[in-house]
Amino acid sequence: MRFLLSWLREHLSECRLEAAELAARLTAVGFNVELREPADGEGKPGDEVWEVDVTTNRPDAMNHRGLAREAAAVGAGELRPLDLSVTEEGTAAGELARVRVEDGEGCPRYCARVVRGVRVGPSPAWLAARLSACGVRPINNVVDATNYVLLDLGQPLHAFDLDLLEGREVRVRAARPGETLRTLDGVERVLEAGDVVIADARRPVALAGIMGGAETEITASTRDVLLESATFHPLRVRRTAHRLGLKTEASHRFERGADRAMARTAVDACAALISRIAGGEVAPGMLDSAPQPPAPAVIAFSLQRLNAFAGCQVPPEFVIPLLTRLELAPRRDGDLVSCTVPTFRTDLELPEDLYEEVLRHWGYERVPAVLPAADRGPGRRLGSWPLVERARRALAAVGVAEAITYSFTDPGLEAATASSPLAGRGDPVPLLNPLSARSSVLRRSLLAGLVEAAAGNLRRGAGAVLLGEVGRAFFGTPGGVREEERAAVVLAGEVGSWDGRRNADFLDLKGLVEGFLSGLGLPPARWRPGSCALLESGQGAEVMLGGRVIAVAGRLAEAIGERLDIAQPLWVAEVDLAAVAGEGTATFRPLPRFPAVVADLTVRHRVDLTYDQLVGALMAAAPEWLEGVAPVVQYRGEGVAAGEVKTTLRLTYRHGERSLSQEEVNAAHFAAMERLAAELGVRFD
Amino acid sequence: MTAPQLQAVRAEFDAELAAAGRDPARVEEVRIRFAGRRSGVLRELEERLKGLPREEKPAYGKALNELKQYISERLEQARRGVGPAREEIFLDVTLPGRAPRLGSVHPVTLVRREIEEIFLRMGYSVADGPEVEDDWHNFEALNIPPFHPARDTQDTFYLPGGLLLRTHTSPVQIRAMETMELPLRLIIPGRVYRRDSDLRHSPMFHQVEGLVVGEGITFAHLRATLEAFVHVLFDPALKVRLRPSFFPFTEPSAEVDITCILCRGQGCAMCSGSGWIEILGAGMVDPRVLRACRIDPQRYSGFAFGCGLDRVALLKYGLPDLRLLFSGDERFLRQFGSEGAL
Ligand SMILES: [Zn+2]
Repeated sequence: MRFLLSWLREHLSECRLEAAELAARLTAVGFNVELREPADGEGKPGDEVWEVDVTTNRPDAMNHRGLAREAAAVGAGELRPLDLSVTEEGTAAGELARVRVEDGEGCPRYCARVVRGVRVGPSPAWLAARLSACGVRPINNVVDATNYVLLDLGQPLHAFDLDLLEGREVRVRAARPGETLRTLDGVERVLEAGDVVIADARRPVALAGIMGGAETEITASTRDVLLESATFHPLRVRRTAHRLGLKTEASHRFERGADRAMARTAVDACAALISRIAGGEVAPGMLDSAPQPPAPAVIAFSLQRLNAFAGCQVPPEFVIPLLTRLELAPRRDGDLVSCTVPTFRTDLELPEDLYEEVLRHWGYERVPAVLPAADRGPGRRLGSWPLVERARRALAAVGVAEAITYSFTDPGLEAATASSPLAGRGDPVPLLNPLSARSSVLRRSLLAGLVEAAAGNLRRGAGAVLLGEVGRAFFGTPGGVREEERAAVVLAGEVGSWDGRRNADFLDLKGLVEGFLSGLGLPPARWRPGSCALLESGQGAEVMLGGRVIAVAGRLAEAIGERLDIAQPLWVAEVDLAAVAGEGTATFRPLPRFPAVVADLTVRHRVDLTYDQLVGALMAAAPEWLEGVAPVVQYRGEGVAAGEVKTTLRLTYRHGERSLSQEEVNAAHFAAMERLAAELGVRFD
Repeated sequence: MTAPQLQAVRAEFDAELAAAGRDPARVEEVRIRFAGRRSGVLRELEERLKGLPREEKPAYGKALNELKQYISERLEQARRGVGPAREEIFLDVTLPGRAPRLGSVHPVTLVRREIEEIFLRMGYSVADGPEVEDDWHNFEALNIPPFHPARDTQDTFYLPGGLLLRTHTSPVQIRAMETMELPLRLIIPGRVYRRDSDLRHSPMFHQVEGLVVGEGITFAHLRATLEAFVHVLFDPALKVRLRPSFFPFTEPSAEVDITCILCRGQGCAMCSGSGWIEILGAGMVDPRVLRACRIDPQRYSGFAFGCGLDRVALLKYGLPDLRLLFSGDERFLRQFGSEGAL
């Protein structure tokens, strides 16, 4: 909120502080002076406009008087008493207008005064300048007077043209559903049952606490004014303002809680101001729906507990005078201090609220810094943190650049990337109020964001892309939304180094995924062909572990690539981390004690005999001391018949208990070859 | 199989001797490896001769002898500094190496881990919770009832079924206080969401919050913890300033400023000339919040603090724009390595 320094000082009997010092002290007690600018226009030389961040719990300081009270508390001077004198003349207000509050919850207090015979016109320059300095546009002297009192004392007021109020009466009541009201901004508002309205004998004339109506506003021909100064229920004002999308200076304050005592003070101040700048006489008497103030709240606290809470000693000689300056009327009885909460401090309820009052004025920096004693054992990562952190390290270990992409995405891309066995575990979850249609649904696959990111890199001319992410996928289920931890990668462009590059292919992707799974400590998984709309037909795989699909991998379906304007292959994989959570702690295997015998074997076979089938058959045919088989090279083309392929395998024989002789290896090797030839119909050259 | 095996040994020997060039020490290494008396390759091959069937022995023995002779002659030549004319290969050591692709970790992950490490050392555990939340955990239990003005600053994405995307990591505090045993020392990092998008705001970002609840927890504890945090994360020379503020879930509340790391407090564009940058929000847990979690505020007290991880990453790495973090631009992502500051 904007404040004028000279106006602030007007509320102080003497101002003992320079502007800079005052700004610093206010900031230190919680009123952050964010900006200081020289005031231009009619102001005094050296005057300043301040932008002060008044937190939402302190509506009482959203006006010059309220901030001056805090200024007084930080030593800027004494708060000057308000001049509450009003000169009354003529017929009593009670004979000129009537006020009835029918909705006591919506309007705890309604005060009104009548000013007769005003001459509506422009405000005096000093007043217009003050309003302008605070960012309020001057309109006419009567309306300006209400705005002036709002900025001065914090009480929102409204001026009605009394002659336009049917029956010269005001009723504060709940709106009837479907009733309409044209507000000052010219918009026709349709009202609902929870709204509070000010009505005359016939119709609503103002939206309580938010905005007046157009039909009863002050015009050049207004003679008699009914001035409203009320308190309205914060929640009901807020609901209505929220629903209508109407935020006004008045609603801003009422939503945060208004001071019921100020309703009466402000209407006097405003009536006096109007009669001063617009002429007219203030009718004797105040129309007040609730003249009896409710019993003020009392908060008691223990000085000892205050110190225990703060972690330092704040002497009573500081506490008591401070609370007095804040108008909290402290009464000390030994260790106990009782404060009477003034009506303007709607934020004070608990002893802790008073600790805050004391501490912010004592100075946070005067509280010593003391680390709490250790009261627990060492900390550790809980929930899914150990798993996702391991996954991040495993991704980095296979060369992936970790990306973070948005959890929400485009529904079309979402559906396309979610068409895999991993992502089909629930419905897409739409956002009810998305920022745009392109980010209107939660992802069921991390690939939604990753393929988009990969496409962006390729469009920027990247020759190689390897991105990954660890995060959550979201599934709508009858019971709510289920969140699953996932990891995903996307690979595109070239692999290799400067003197040996080639385009990435499926085996590059598979190697990455295998490396990642092994980094998670998992045993080797089984890969089998898998087809789903996510992946290009015939170029996808499902990765199985313990009978479950833990991952899918393959070439992204071309149709999805086209959606992203990418023609080149994108190799993608997604891993269900929950499925691998329990797996994998590395255990020690004794190192081999006896030498291995290595022999190569070249097999010529049909292309549709898979490597798994070939090796499976070989392992079954060989003795158990065939330790392992690895591919050396695969060859197709010249010298090999169409539909066939030559695979060279390297077999490692090693016995756990003794050295192997060359003869027994040879014998086993040849026996295995014979069995393979018989069982699979393969040949050897 | 024997002859090819000896061939392979010969080829290997040639290669190693060539690599040794005229360096006597390296020639000696090659000699020991192949012709060493105890465990040289030739010695091993001799051992194998003993195990061969009688009929294979003569052929193998002959070939082995030839190999032995070849090796000893070549070693002798090498020692004398003569040998067959060898092409001098110019090795250009300035050519770029064949680099393995190194992984990299997102800067937000790096700062998160750094913060976690600081607090793990102080006995905090790292907790997590759902990103899809209900109104109770995200707002009401945190002393933000429906229509509370504080909801204005936390524009919320709503989901069907009365659910929402959490607007802060604070609901995890509530879940922890509801379910875990006291005393509590937690650090809670995670993704959060607000319906806001411009140069300085992303609809998705990251927070980390800390929560300590126990008997006798004081404001002084909070202050010291925040100072320790800032000093380890940034620089022990930085000043930490606590400014009274307001959050519905803490009482008293503070905004925490640190000396501007760019201008060191002199005033610059980044700190709007003030010399300070706001980095954290903090406070003592409001008794209303403790009560909402069925914790007796007469017996227990606590403090909480929170900051934006993305903002810390921006400050630490001097990034110009928040949106870069979520761009997926590999040129950006690969700048930070996988370890971060140790
Ligand atoms: Zn600076």
